[in-house]
Amino acid sequence: MSVQETHTYLKARTAVMADRLYSPQLFDDLLQLSLEEVCAQSNLSELLDTGADESKLNLAVERALINTLMHELSILMRPLVGPARDILVHWTRKYELYNLKALIRGKLLGLSYDELRGNLHELPALISLPHENLLRTENIAELLRQLEVGQYGDIAIQARKVYEDKNEPFSLDATIDQRYYAGLLKRARLIPAEDRAPLMQLIGAVIDQQNLLWLLRYRFNYELSPSETYYLLLPFGHHLQRENLVALVNLNNTQQVMESLPESMLADLGQLLSHMDIEKTLEAMTAQQAQKSLKYSTSAITRSLAYLILREMDLGRLFAIIQGKVLNLDVALIREAAGLDSLQTETAHV
Amino acid sequence: MFRPLRMKHVLIQVLTEDLPQVSLTLAELSVFSPDNRAAYIDQFPVIPGDHYRELYHQASSRLEKIRKHVGLGDNIDLSEDTVPSEAVLAETNAWLGEMWERCSSYEETFRKLSDEERMLDQLDQALDNFAELKIDLSLLHGDKHFLDIRVGIIPKQNASQLSEALNLAGYLMFNYMIHDENIHIIVLGLKGERENEITSVLDTAGFHTLPVPEELHAEPDKVRRELQEKRQTLIRQRDQENRNMTACADEIRKELERCRKILITAEPFVQIDASARSSGYLSIITGWIPARDIKNTEKVLQQTLKNPFSIDTRDPTAEERELVPSYMPKSRLMAPFATLIKQYGIPRYGEIDPTGIFALTFIAMLGMMFGDIGHGLIIILAAWLARKKLKSFTLFAVSTGISATIFGALYGSIFGYEEIMHALWIAPLSDPIYMLTVALGWGIGFLLLITLISINNRIMDNDLTRAVFDNNGIVSIVLYVSVLFGIYSFYNNGHFGIITAIISITALLTLLGYKLIETHAPPGERMLVAAIETLETLTGYISNTLSFLRVAAFSLNHAALAIAVFTLAEMMESTGHWITVICGNIFILVLEGAIVTIQALRLEYYEGFSRFFSGDGKEFKPLHLHLEKRV
Repeated sequence: MSVQETHTYLKARTAVMADRLYSPQLFDDLLQLSLEEVCAQSNLSELLDTGADESKLNLAVERALINTLMHELSILMRPLVGPARDILVHWTRKYELYNLKALIRGKLLGLSYDELRGNLHELPALISLPHENLLRTENIAELLRQLEVGQYGDIAIQARKVYEDKNEPFSLDATIDQRYYAGLLKRARLIPAEDRAPLMQLIGAVIDQQNLLWLLRYRFNYELSPSETYYLLLPFGHHLQRENLVALVNLNNTQQVMESLPESMLADLGQLLSHMDIEKTLEAMTAQQAQKSLKYSTSAITRSLAYLILREMDLGRLFAIIQGKVLNLDVALIREAAGLDSLQTETAHV
Repeated sequence: MFRPLRMKHVLIQVLTEDLPQVSLTLAELSVFSPDNRAAYIDQFPVIPGDHYRELYHQASSRLEKIRKHVGLGDNIDLSEDTVPSEAVLAETNAWLGEMWERCSSYEETFRKLSDEERMLDQLDQALDNFAELKIDLSLLHGDKHFLDIRVGIIPKQNASQLSEALNLAGYLMFNYMIHDENIHIIVLGLKGERENEITSVLDTAGFHTLPVPEELHAEPDKVRRELQEKRQTLIRQRDQENRNMTACADEIRKELERCRKILITAEPFVQIDASARSSGYLSIITGWIPARDIKNTEKVLQQTLKNPFSIDTRDPTAEERELVPSYMPKSRLMAPFATLIKQYGIPRYGEIDPTGIFALTFIAMLGMMFGDIGHGLIIILAAWLARKKLKSFTLFAVSTGISATIFGALYGSIFGYEEIMHALWIAPLSDPIYMLTVALGWGIGFLLLITLISINNRIMDNDLTRAVFDNNGIVSIVLYVSVLFGIYSFYNNGHFGIITAIISITALLTLLGYKLIETHAPPGERMLVAAIETLETLTGYISNTLSFLRVAAFSLNHAALAIAVFTLAEMMESTGHWITVICGNIFILVLEGAIVTIQALRLEYYEGFSRFFSGDGKEFKPLHLHLEKRV
């Protein structure tokens, strides 16, 4: 396929696939259905037939939903080569990084093979770590030695240094997250110029969301210094640029940070103080940007990534609904846990 | 030859205590493929050996890791061994755990030594750099009253972010050198309460302190000597660790070989997994055994088991067919062809075994396209010389060489020379039309054979409707033959023939009717899909037939390439002439040889396999003892 054909194909594909995205109304309808009906509508009935207990069922549903996402990713990746393909592959690596964190934490806590294995996502070979070998390692040092020679070697080498110097899971997690998003940015910069600007706008929105949450968490929950907090951020967001972050990390409480946000974020976030509310609003803002990109972007790769971001959010909400139904929770509670109120807001803004 | 090996479903009932021995015996016989369905879950609810399996997997993983450091012999004698008990396995696992801890500590030591060597390299580079600086390096040393100074390296990608983070704390960062993936920096700031904060930031950024010697400016040679001594010390340490590692390997090798035997004999019991179920003292094992091996299996079980057992066999049911494993040929001659078939897929149980047909037609087509006595003999010789690398594919290469030699004799060609011997059949370029006609005839024969196999496979599948009406069914073959006959008649007599036309149209309409019934879509789409698919069936047969013209085309190409080589050679002096002839023949052998192999495979896969087997079968992989060297 020529570049032009690839773009046309991807735009057509994402337009068709966009129909799979859930509307707020559909989520509302799902909330009113029984667990069996929700699973039937989501092609997950087979999982209910296995008669697994609550935790196994939740795990099976999560795996099935991730498989759905991976399948759609493989469809979108098919015509892509080079940096465009790399960016989609790297985006999905977040799931393998969840596994990596689970493995490191599990080894630090001395969890058994079965306990650890049950917490790992099964992923395509393209992004997957050699789980069996890693699970069979007998301590964190051996685990890191094995990781250093694989495709996540750069992250593992950095993680080892942090582990040896600080010996705490939080620092490891923070370093892994930062390396992941830095990798996403690095790959986005290699994209051809015509795609780069819209793609950076979308990735910038994702990074804004992460930066603000990390900033609040590191500064006020873990009480890190401004300099260390800044080091763990990524000063390349869409709204939150270097100078904004430098100013924000030096503030002393959440209220000051929220009131000092740039104009473009102030209206939505300025009044919020609860970290949970801030997180939901940021997610809604990312979703708005993704929806705009999906509908109007001239870049096919940006549309593909936007679709994956939105689809991931939808599947996350669907998972929350199913989990709520499995646990027989109240509809209002499930609605809140699935973030369906912010979904109304984000759709209204596009 | 073409019929698949018959399989029987077996249900072996034994006492639970005999289960491990049964699994070992079945693995030694290498004829039993486990059936893991939960068919008898109500009567036999327990899958025995959960803990045993976990112990085995852990021990096995430890052994494999240790074997990367400790080489073991190739010969494994299992003549006297029985299946280890859970206690023995636990003991083995514990011992392997201790040994792995020893090996792992060596790995960690080697890693640390490598890190130190890398740091020495970095320091070496830094010293070169410092030596040229016009500054007093003593200023960088010792505890300063007001200044916090640190010299070290960080990964290159962390530099800019770290510099900004340090600025926030009132520190400055200077980069003075880049080496490999690291950047050398000096960090400078006011002493005070922020020192710990800076240490934390630097740790997060992967900062390594570089110990710059105080005497660098005063006594550079001394510093160099010290650095060299440190390097030598590291080399000595590495040598010492290597010796320790070898001594450790020698110390544990014998016991390790004993552990390997234990794990090999334990593996079959682990591998039978859910195919074995138990209820108290009674257990069952279910699986598939080739019908020809049932009697022998029963006999051997009688000899090895001390307690009574029963073995019930039955034919697979129609519903089970897709679960029954298909036996792929293991003979030395057929193994490489079976490997190539597996690249496409495994035939379903009951389908005609394509290995023999594939072997014969592939070798014949390759020979026809690449017919030359000289080239054929070179292929045979090369295959024989490279037999250690080619392994099972040696016979494959030899057989293609023989085929090329035979067709070379038929074409009268030796290294492209056609005047040395008289063609036993025909020189391709003497009558290209005849060659194309032969290729067309070969293609028609091949497609008819393949379609008949496809019909047979459908019948074996109890799918009579598809055997009659589907693509590659009876109606399709009638359509194909009638159209061929009509075209032949038109070519010779100038008309298609009324009866032939009626048969062709009837077959075409029958196919269309079937497609209309089979397609599930709105009326308009259904018409469109059915019409296109019917037309595709017809055009598919025609285009596939024409595809076989390449068999003749490549035989012509082979001769034409030889003529081109000789024409070039004629333009040279005697030495140049022979160099051109030799190089030209090598060119033909390598380039055309590769192209012809790909073309023959393409004809087999696309025109052949895609018509008659689905490739979604399960290969028969019997339980066996892993006696081969794994690491």
